[in-house]
Amino acid sequence: MRRWLPVVALGVLVAVVGLATTLALGAAAPSATERSESLGAELRCPDCQGLSVADSPTRSAREIRRQIDELVAGGADDEAVRAHFVARYGEWIRLAPSAPAVWVIPFVVVVVGVAALVVGLAARRRAGPDATAPILTPEERHRVRDEAEALDA
Amino acid sequence: MIPTIGHASILVGLALSAYAVVAHLLAARGGDPRIASSGRRAVIGSFVAAGIACAAMVLSLLSHDFSVVYVAENNATSTPPFISAISLWAALEGSILFWTLLATGWAGLVLHRYRDRHRALMPWVGATLAAINGFFFMVMTWPGNPFARTDPVAAEGLGPNALLQNHPFMALHPPLLYLGYTGLAVAFAFGIAALATRRLDEEWLRIVRRWTIIPWIFLTLGIVAGAWWSYEVLGWGGYWAWDPVENAALLPWLTATAFLHSIMVAERRGGLRIWTGAMVIATFVLTLVGTFLTRSGVVASVHSFTQSAIGPWFLAAIVVALAGSLTLLVWRLPELAGGGRPSGTVSRESAFLLNNVLFLGLTFAVLFGTLLPLIMLAVGGEQISVGAPWFDTVTVPIFIALLFLMGVGPALPWGTAGWTTLRQRFSLPLVVAAAVTAGATIAGLREIGPLGTLGLAVFVGSIMVDEVVRGARARARGRGEHPATATWRLTTRNRRRYGGYSVHVGVLVMAVGVAVSSGLATDRTVTIGPGETAGIGAYEITNDRLVVEPLAADPRVIETRAELTYAGPQAGTLATALRDYPNSPTAIATPAVRTSLGEDLYVTLLASDASSGVVTLHLFVNPLVVWIWIGGGIVGIGAGFAAWPERRTRPAVQPVPDSAPRPAAVETVEGA
Amino acid sequence: MSLRTLRWLLVPLLVVPITWLLLAGFGHDPRVVASPLIGRPAPAWETVTMAGEPIGSDDLAGRPYIVNFWASWCLPACVDEHPVLAAAHEAHGDRVTMVGILFDDTPHDARRFLDRYGDAGYPHLLDDRGAISIDFGVVGPPETFFVDADGIVRAKQTGPLEPQGMDEHLATILPRASR
Repeated sequence: MRRWLPVVALGVLVAVVGLATTLALGAAAPSATERSESLGAELRCPDCQGLSVADSPTRSAREIRRQIDELVAGGADDEAVRAHFVARYGEWIRLAPSAPAVWVIPFVVVVVGVAALVVGLAARRRAGPDATAPILTPEERHRVRDEAEALDA
Repeated sequence: MIPTIGHASILVGLALSAYAVVAHLLAARGGDPRIASSGRRAVIGSFVAAGIACAAMVLSLLSHDFSVVYVAENNATSTPPFISAISLWAALEGSILFWTLLATGWAGLVLHRYRDRHRALMPWVGATLAAINGFFFMVMTWPGNPFARTDPVAAEGLGPNALLQNHPFMALHPPLLYLGYTGLAVAFAFGIAALATRRLDEEWLRIVRRWTIIPWIFLTLGIVAGAWWSYEVLGWGGYWAWDPVENAALLPWLTATAFLHSIMVAERRGGLRIWTGAMVIATFVLTLVGTFLTRSGVVASVHSFTQSAIGPWFLAAIVVALAGSLTLLVWRLPELAGGGRPSGTVSRESAFLLNNVLFLGLTFAVLFGTLLPLIMLAVGGEQISVGAPWFDTVTVPIFIALLFLMGVGPALPWGTAGWTTLRQRFSLPLVVAAAVTAGATIAGLREIGPLGTLGLAVFVGSIMVDEVVRGARARARGRGEHPATATWRLTTRNRRRYGGYSVHVGVLVMAVGVAVSSGLATDRTVTIGPGETAGIGAYEITNDRLVVEPLAADPRVIETRAELTYAGPQAGTLATALRDYPNSPTAIATPAVRTSLGEDLYVTLLASDASSGVVTLHLFVNPLVVWIWIGGGIVGIGAGFAAWPERRTRPAVQPVPDSAPRPAAVETVEGA
Repeated sequence: MSLRTLRWLLVPLLVVPITWLLLAGFGHDPRVVASPLIGRPAPAWETVTMAGEPIGSDDLAGRPYIVNFWASWCLPACVDEHPVLAAAHEAHGDRVTMVGILFDDTPHDARRFLDRYGDAGYPHLLDDRGAISIDFGVVGPPETFFVDADGIVRAKQTGPLEPQGMDEHLATILPRASR
């Protein structure tokens, strides 16, 4: 039985990924309320410190939410709603920057880091073991150091 | 009188720190060991001076001495004693004073502890710590004097910041956080010492591990306490807003965690000297950068202490610390490079190194997002905001990768791992995780976030359970012990490993708590008159009445309180209020939170009409939130367990029979 | 140059940008947001004064006007700029219309503020839901907008007005001849 386990595991992995994709893709188009909520989460509450209008209790936030609801009900698409507020406040009102570069840079950094790691590991393997590498276990080394210090004192 | 003593103590502290720096530098160049002793005593003296200054400030606060500017701005005659006392760290100057107390305390502790050991390192450690303390004393002497006086003396003070009075966590969050920050300076000092003396070897690693993990525990608990406080006090139903100051606390935590993991690789396999050195420098510099961002007014934040004159001083400190330590690192670079045994692409080392890459990636992302508005301003571009939507999107994938690695990494062998090992270790956990995920989907959970996190948590958890079972079984069989005894002895004899596992379990619990509470929370805003009811989830909330009256504890505060009854899985009464503090332009919301293991019922008062008794409430049902705090506690306890020194008795294996005399069995306490 | 020498470049390479960036933050108050309205037509609005009379942006057309968003709770900024606004109304009221708009405030509290610090003599308008402040992109009081006779926003002051700033902003909306 144990020998079949890895195959089962692989099959299960495929099934899980398939399920996740289905769930994500199969999600129905967002309703008006959902759109309002997600737009509200994207816009900054003007008289708060960094909260979105969706999370903020201030009067300005409530009015912006009301205006979002009105615009969405009136048939405006997401970009139009965003543009409405950017025209009044500038890009500052958006909690997520619009420039795609800003979103991509962190992932690029991580990918470069992982690549550097893989390359570095391979290079180290090619270079072979180092003469300075420790051959005692940490515990043994600690004990050597302790006893040397005791002798020193 | 008392403020004068406080101010004088600060000057004494400055003088003692300056002396300590000089004494330790002289001692580092060799010579009379008494110079090092006098330096050490000076550091301990600076701790006493800081203590006296803190006591003076607390006494001034308790006695409402408004001749002191800090007291006049943060205290009032009606302020309760507990709040007065903890106002020591409520605002800028006092918080620096408190920080200095803790910093000098750590410095004195470590110098005293090692007064007879590590003679090469300690003078440099002392000099670095004394210099850092001296900087803070300097800030308190010039731009940020906590004991600045005012004349004429006002009859009444402004009172404490409204937000800080609402919750007892104000007593907990800053001290925990500051204990973390100031403790990490000790690790930095050891790093500088090791670089200066060219002793970046296992001695340094062993010492610095202990002195990193303890502050790390405090920092972790401090961050979690901050999130918990934010949730209970701010009223928006969330606990993490990626506010610049929250990020400031997170940044050194990320690099410190990476550092802790890289130490393990360095100890086991050697090498990584440059890397660990750079990590410990980065952690300290990020601590300063974080403090700078909080206090200079350069970024707007929930927390901002007002823009003040100390900004430039902190900037100077950052530049000096960064330039100085980098120069030292670069100077020693040729000697530090290389070393260590090579390892396979799939091995525990590579997993730990990947962990470091990911943590550094997170650090970069958070730093980038926090500073981007500043960068855009500096290059003359448009003003932008970077908030939760960006941070969530960018950090969540990295967190998920780290969760996965957290399970897989410790289960991989050192050296290299082949396919057989991978199959053996991970097949069963994968199947179990899939089964649980499938079961959850069938039971109705369809949100991808909580579902995925649950699956990942079960995967990682199963691996850990497998490890413990395997280890206990081997031990029980090998020594004939009862399984329970075997498990106990296994874990307590390998505290580092199993403490580490406990920390990971805590992280898993937090991850599931975060995923479920953000993915499955429901909320609605309702307006109900007296006697009317609104529902959310399985709860029914009834508006009993609206009360407007001064607070009993502090009559200057007018509270508008909605008293409600709720029924459902939990039932009872709750009260949520808006409080009008005289020194705050807007009313402060006091949410009501009813916590159970399964979910939180969270109610905030948004608006009310006193004449009709109609209230507008924001209702939330937040599932599994309490597990975030519980998970944080598990992390702290686990790390404490890992750091606890092991008592090593005579070895259990039979010693090789030998005619030469052996030293008596050593009862050593492992670790520094 | 060998790698050994080049490594020293790492220090300035890391330190200089960080220093420059953090320094750059000092000159700027993060709460001040540049307005996209400058150079564009002022938003249209319609509301009532504190006395209950209806008033709209159409009524102000044809003359330069100043819109000042304020609140009785915005201390000390609104208190500090109050005399500056009063003086401006006194000096230029014949050529420039001035209106105040309450930001998240009640007429009762506003009345108390004016009784205490003096009524500057120009009308104050209500903005119940805050729609007007949002149309103007107001972050928080006090904010003042200077609109010229053609209805174009020429200047915005974030934070309390000082006499010099008031003169500079006025210069952007007053016709050259009568300055």
